[in-house]
Amino acid sequence: MTALTPAQSTGGVNGVALTVLVVFFLAVAVAGFWAARWRRPASMDSLEEWGLGGRSFGTWVTWFLLGGDLYTAYTFVAVPAAMFSVGAVSGFFAVPYTIILYPIIFIFMSRLWSVSHRHGYVTPADFVQGRSGSRALTLAVAVTGFLATMPYIALQLVGIQAVLEVAGVGGSGNWVEKDAPIFVAFLVLALYTYTSGLRAPAIIAFVKDILIYIVIIVAVIYLPSKVGGWGHIFDAAQNKMAKTNPDTGKPVGAFIPAAGQYWAYATLALGSAMALFMYPHSVTATLSAKSRTTIRKNASILPAYSFMLGLLALLGWVAIAAGTKPIGLDGKPNPQLVVPQLFEDFFPPWFAGVAFAAIAIGALVPAAIMSIAASNTFTRNIYKAWIKPDATPKQEAKVSKLTSLVVKAFALIFVLTLDKTNALNFQLLGGIWIMQTFPSVVFYLYTRWFHRRALLLGWAVGMVYGTVSAYNVINPVSKGHFGGSLAEIPGLGELGYIALTAFVFNLIVTVVFTVIFRAFKASEGKDETIPADYFADAGDPRVEKVESEVPVLPPGV
Amino acid sequence: MSTPPQHSDAPPANKGLLAIAVVCLAIPIIALMLVGTYAKDGPRLFDFPFFIWYQFLWVALCSILTYTAYRLVLRARPHRPMNPEGTEFLIDTGDDVGDSTTDGAGDSETGR
Repeated sequence: MTALTPAQSTGGVNGVALTVLVVFFLAVAVAGFWAARWRRPASMDSLEEWGLGGRSFGTWVTWFLLGGDLYTAYTFVAVPAAMFSVGAVSGFFAVPYTIILYPIIFIFMSRLWSVSHRHGYVTPADFVQGRSGSRALTLAVAVTGFLATMPYIALQLVGIQAVLEVAGVGGSGNWVEKDAPIFVAFLVLALYTYTSGLRAPAIIAFVKDILIYIVIIVAVIYLPSKVGGWGHIFDAAQNKMAKTNPDTGKPVGAFIPAAGQYWAYATLALGSAMALFMYPHSVTATLSAKSRTTIRKNASILPAYSFMLGLLALLGWVAIAAGTKPIGLDGKPNPQLVVPQLFEDFFPPWFAGVAFAAIAIGALVPAAIMSIAASNTFTRNIYKAWIKPDATPKQEAKVSKLTSLVVKAFALIFVLTLDKTNALNFQLLGGIWIMQTFPSVVFYLYTRWFHRRALLLGWAVGMVYGTVSAYNVINPVSKGHFGGSLAEIPGLGELGYIALTAFVFNLIVTVVFTVIFRAFKASEGKDETIPADYFADAGDPRVEKVESEVPVLPPGV
Repeated sequence: MSTPPQHSDAPPANKGLLAIAVVCLAIPIIALMLVGTYAKDGPRLFDFPFFIWYQFLWVALCSILTYTAYRLVLRARPHRPMNPEGTEFLIDTGDDVGDSTTDGAGDSETGR
């Protein structure tokens, strides 16, 4: 198992698979540009149209869009990789995570949709501004969202790189040969996102999700029979996880979480589920739905993706039984390559190509939505709020489109020039950071009891605690910082997800300071929303732009 | 909380149905948080460890429960259209389903 074969074993360039991959990529690029004409609005010159697809997507489009957005290429690569190398705690938690996600979004996302529909909010920070009237808190939420999204976009490139590497492209040679494929892929992505906005990933998500479903269903039916059946697969996984890792002196990983790992497993699932819909890109996909009920209906059909994700996770264990050796073109073992390598080893080249296309296209959809969401956040909550308050909708759309190009260029430079572990560290931090905006966004959907300054203090405490705590996790093998997302929960002695621990500190600080600020009757700021806003549906009147400058107060104030 | 409901408040809802919907949504979260109840190998089903198939089972159960909650919420709080000014919802839609308690505490204080 540990005997590593030299790099040539990946077999050089896989011509057929690569051709299939390129053909799919070109088809998707055409679809992306065509998307600008799909349900063509009178004008694309506003964030409503470019950034939210005109808030017009029905149940099925929303289903594909959200599925394409949340289950990213990085997920497809990283979850089986975690199962393959360290087992169930860091890998299979993705399944309970994406199950409990839906009851959670059912509860609050339809409220966010309603209030955003009434007031024309495009980002979570827009809502916080309208509700709290606090520019400082809004800036905190916006900057956190922006920073947390950036490494996530960069990581989508890791998914594309993984399939290209297994297909035999991009590992060696000069700069042009190594990075040109990724460069071209992202350039095309950037251009159709620029012209079509959110409509492009909505169209491409159809192709992506259908391909992913086909590949996974074929894989879980066909592969187990080739490697000795599921019984053998689970035995092989159990054997590998029970072995002692020579670097740490502990077992390699967990086949089934042991008693000391229950907290880790549960907090990873809960914390990730609570954090996911704080990311601007999840909110963007949600707000593009055409009605309030679309979101709730979707919450009950989106778990179909969780089922698929569970099967995909198990492919990491199939690879153990199959003896897959994920070795990069640089000759070093890289667990990220395990699923593409498994496909190349067992499937005919043309179907391996389809599988590679599924993963690569799977990177394009979230990368597009994330860059749109990050740009909307920048435009609305930094450019318009701080630089040019009188920006017209047309100027907003223009700034957002340009920002989406900058954001992608930055992600590209980030991945190509810096060590990949930097992207991973920032992604880990991003998950912890974004969780700290939960009180400001979600609590505000229900109540204004929490004081805006207390929320800001709580956020700051959560950010600092989370960052320090993550920095102090030492990787047992490399001895580097940011070694993982689990740390001891103070006072409990169990390992838990740092994001959730930081969230609890955030919450305590927020409550304590709310009581203090209320005792001193500190200014609460103006709320531009009324309770009925939180129940509005498609067809209800929108609050006029000019009116929203003056807070709309309910009668009887 | 004792102020009479204003039209700009949350539309009236059937509190009982909302409570059942909340229970439907809470069940999968609670079940999956209790990792100790399912972190075991047996009984296996088609060679799949209990730990694996039990969580797959919850994918389906959660979907059913969420859909149930969706139907319940639709019935518990039928949509009330707003007036053209968007300052309050209209009440002439007929059946009045009880009090105006919202599914979020503290809504009534926003208007102060």
